[in-house]
Amino acid sequence: MRRATVPLRQRFDRIVPHLVIWPPIIISCTYAIVFSAWTIWVSLTRSTLLPDYTWYGFRNYTSMLATRNWQIASANLAIYGTCFVALTMATGLLLAVLIDQRVRAENIFRAIFLYPMAVSFVVTGTIWGWLLNPSIGIQKLVHDLGWAGFRFDWVIDRDKAIYCVVIAGAWQASGFAMALFLAGLRSVEADLLKAAQIDGAGAWRLYCRVVFPSMGPIFIAVMVMLLQFAIKTYDLVVALTAGGPGLASTLPSIVVYDFMFQRGELGRGSAAAVMLLASLAVVLVPYAIYRSWRARRVAAHA
Amino acid sequence: MRKSRLGRRAVLGAAASGLILPRVARAQAVGKPKVTVISQWSAGSDGAAITALGKRFEAEGGIWEHNPVPGFTTDMMNKLRAQIIAGDPPAASQLKGPEIAAWSKIAPVVDLDATVKAAGYEAVVPAELVNLSKPYGHWIALPIQAYRINTLFVSKKAADRIGMTKLPTTWAAFNAAAEKMKAAGIIPVANGGLKWDDGMKWEIALCGISPDAYRKAIMQLDEAALKGPESLAAFRQLRKFAEWSDPGVAGQHYSTFIPRYMKGELGMLLMGGWAQGVFKHAGFQLTDYMVGPAPQDDGKIAFDLNSDEFIFWQKKQKDFQDGQALLAKIVMAKDFGPMYCQITGSIPVRTDTDMSEAGFSDGQREAARAMAEAKASNRIVLSLGHNMAQPNQITAAMLDVLTEFVHNNSISPEEGQKRLVEAIDNVR
Amino acid sequence: MPSRLVRPAIHGVLLLLAAAYLVPLLVVVLNSLRSTDDIMQTSMIGWPRTLVWSNFSETWSHYCIAEHCSGIRPYFVNSLEMTIPATIVSTLLGALNGYSLALWRFRGDTWVFGIITLGVFLPEQMKLVPWVIVLRDLGLFNTIAGLVLIHIVQGLSFTTLFCRNYYTSIPVDLLKAARIDGAGFFRIFWRIVLPLSPPILIVTVIWQFTGIWNEYLYGVTFAAGEQQPITAALIALSAHISEAPLYGEQSAAVLLAAAPTLLVYLFGGRYFLRGLTSGAVK
Repeated sequence: MRRATVPLRQRFDRIVPHLVIWPPIIISCTYAIVFSAWTIWVSLTRSTLLPDYTWYGFRNYTSMLATRNWQIASANLAIYGTCFVALTMATGLLLAVLIDQRVRAENIFRAIFLYPMAVSFVVTGTIWGWLLNPSIGIQKLVHDLGWAGFRFDWVIDRDKAIYCVVIAGAWQASGFAMALFLAGLRSVEADLLKAAQIDGAGAWRLYCRVVFPSMGPIFIAVMVMLLQFAIKTYDLVVALTAGGPGLASTLPSIVVYDFMFQRGELGRGSAAAVMLLASLAVVLVPYAIYRSWRARRVAAHA
Repeated sequence: MRKSRLGRRAVLGAAASGLILPRVARAQAVGKPKVTVISQWSAGSDGAAITALGKRFEAEGGIWEHNPVPGFTTDMMNKLRAQIIAGDPPAASQLKGPEIAAWSKIAPVVDLDATVKAAGYEAVVPAELVNLSKPYGHWIALPIQAYRINTLFVSKKAADRIGMTKLPTTWAAFNAAAEKMKAAGIIPVANGGLKWDDGMKWEIALCGISPDAYRKAIMQLDEAALKGPESLAAFRQLRKFAEWSDPGVAGQHYSTFIPRYMKGELGMLLMGGWAQGVFKHAGFQLTDYMVGPAPQDDGKIAFDLNSDEFIFWQKKQKDFQDGQALLAKIVMAKDFGPMYCQITGSIPVRTDTDMSEAGFSDGQREAARAMAEAKASNRIVLSLGHNMAQPNQITAAMLDVLTEFVHNNSISPEEGQKRLVEAIDNVR
Repeated sequence: MPSRLVRPAIHGVLLLLAAAYLVPLLVVVLNSLRSTDDIMQTSMIGWPRTLVWSNFSETWSHYCIAEHCSGIRPYFVNSLEMTIPATIVSTLLGALNGYSLALWRFRGDTWVFGIITLGVFLPEQMKLVPWVIVLRDLGLFNTIAGLVLIHIVQGLSFTTLFCRNYYTSIPVDLLKAARIDGAGFFRIFWRIVLPLSPPILIVTVIWQFTGIWNEYLYGVTFAAGEQQPITAALIALSAHISEAPLYGEQSAAVLLAAAPTLLVYLFGGRYFLRGLTSGAVK
């Protein structure tokens, strides 16, 4: 009986949030789960040019693991992933802190560091490929300037080519890391800062003790963003080194594309994609568990 | 907030239907033969050539809808795959080599036997192309153009510096010339460092050593031939190519080094006939380089073939079927070759084409002659590096081994040969 | 370090880094002012022998892509039609999602957030065939609307991630005060959360706009002919096996294609303001 007397407005106010919150969340979750499940399913079938849903067991996985492409690619991903994330975060943080100092022409500096993201990866990869090429790029320039002993031919060195990809990738993504860090730096409560400054903290102390800790979630967001960037790096590598010399700088995303589409082996390509995601889960899931364990410990002690 | 989102959706829906509408309206122009075509030829001379084909199609009363997919062949095949999954394959699409056989198994194709017989086409087309177009006994695809892969281009400036006046005709002569170039400070080999380029160098070497061994090893995957002495000799020659290349070409397209090639810093380029068009577009003349067949140790002509074809997908609507018949007729006609190939710089597929027309270059004439001769003496082979000889899985596995061999001096030719056999066995 | 040296040192380091960052752009700009002949006859990297201004107008309105010789302009417009709606919708929905997940806790919200984050990592290649099936079933294959849908759904994972992590730093007291004042879900969003959001919203808009604008794989597979976005036109100028790219025109096209994103960056700058929370608590 009491229900009939609840004003329509109030009921509206209670239902509408649900109608608005849930659809986008449900769509996002469904998308992530369904697409992952489909890929896992296809990886267990003998799909070649088109999806073919006959069971094939784990043979796609065993054959992918046996290819040199995958072995080199996964080793490269470990190197590239860690170096790229570390270098980009460090550079982005440095740039953000520098720009946060109320420098003149802040707009211009910000645009300069952000513009690499605006240019298509295919093009930046090609240009970096030229710049890093010893015959036409930086090494040649330095030789022409007189220093004949200078060597910077990493891009054609089988062991060092992947580091060139790290450099180009960091150049491309650090601007965005900078933007996120800047947003985080600028959203620290002014009161906290003032209080610390009154206590006599110098700039370095201020950053380390007050600012960075309050930016925790932003650090996580940046790290996640950079990790997915690293995993998805494809156009950049293809344009920069073509996966070369030989197969030396190939990455799992290239292997996935190569097997799925170029070779028309959807099953094996999907297996590669699943292994890629699994290797990521191996890194992230323990981290997530660690963090929630930490949070629970903090809550228990409070 | 919700209202504006709905509004946006309505606008998007209207926009979407607005985009579909013109197509529906056009389809109702009843009766005219129609084709939808997917290819990767969106720009450059390839794009111009297929546009010309479209104009000829429309001049003969048809409706031409070409959907180019810019990028590499894989992107075009992705689009084709997507259209097939969506239940709407194009009337014709670009495809080549054994992929024609593979793709014809996943969606229904048209049987062109009657039209081909009526045009008397089969007799004037190289047998290798016939086999590719009739994988299961019926014509399902038609070749459009051909290129010779085993072509040698020598930079004039480099040749002058070592006193070379004509192209080397055997690998021994080539190697001697390369040594002379190296002594003169020129980098002998001007090829790039991409996967297909590395594969191409090996296949040109093998074709020059023995087209028969090439046929058995690459086209038939005969294990004895793959493990045989010719294959090993080709690996040795490939190692020489690798050592004579600038290490800086790794990962680069050969066109990146054209400036240095024309200046005479790089000497000899082993590339397909299309390089002539590339040089022309870059502003270079025939006087800047010498062109001819790549070395053949036994002195007779052999032709390493690369060719693009149109495959015809089954469509239920009458206007598409008429369109396909019209397109087939145009492509098989004797005057198609001159129209198309004068724009792209390729060679007509019909060996009975009159090459004396003014629009052809001497390089094209020489290559067309080579193809006719090789057809007569049964010395045409299919390119490995350009996906003509084997389906993509096998080609890719072989190219992986070859490209690693080229860029890693510590792999011996024997080891390379062993790895090649292993790679093929893994995929078979 | 003496304080009067610190500021010049900061400027110095920034200038050095800025110069390093600008080098590739310099290469592209120089190449866009050289004719392709010039590039092919000297080197890929170098100064123009003569300044050539026609590359820009040539690519913009005359370059022939398939049958259409109207340059990259129509593709540019297609990209705008696709990117702007997708960016706006995915940003707003992401802000909503982030707000719900960060400030209105419910059971299992960490799990939901984890699943949405998973969506961020799915490689494009893997999603291509499933999207074909989805769009086919929705009847949106080969339409710009279909592309917009793809980018909204995919972008939602990113935008939710950014916004949610940003909103967790909003002081809870603000919300408590507002709720005591009787504000509901939307009121709080509209009056409190959105005004605090400009820094993260502009970051999200930058990310989405750039990502969607520069996206190539889906743009080419799910659009046809002249409906394709500008990335398709750029590739038409770049990727050849049998030809070499027209480097001069390609460089000009790259600059033209990058212009909108650069404008977004320049205009978005004013939203990086300091101390937005300072006034509210008082």
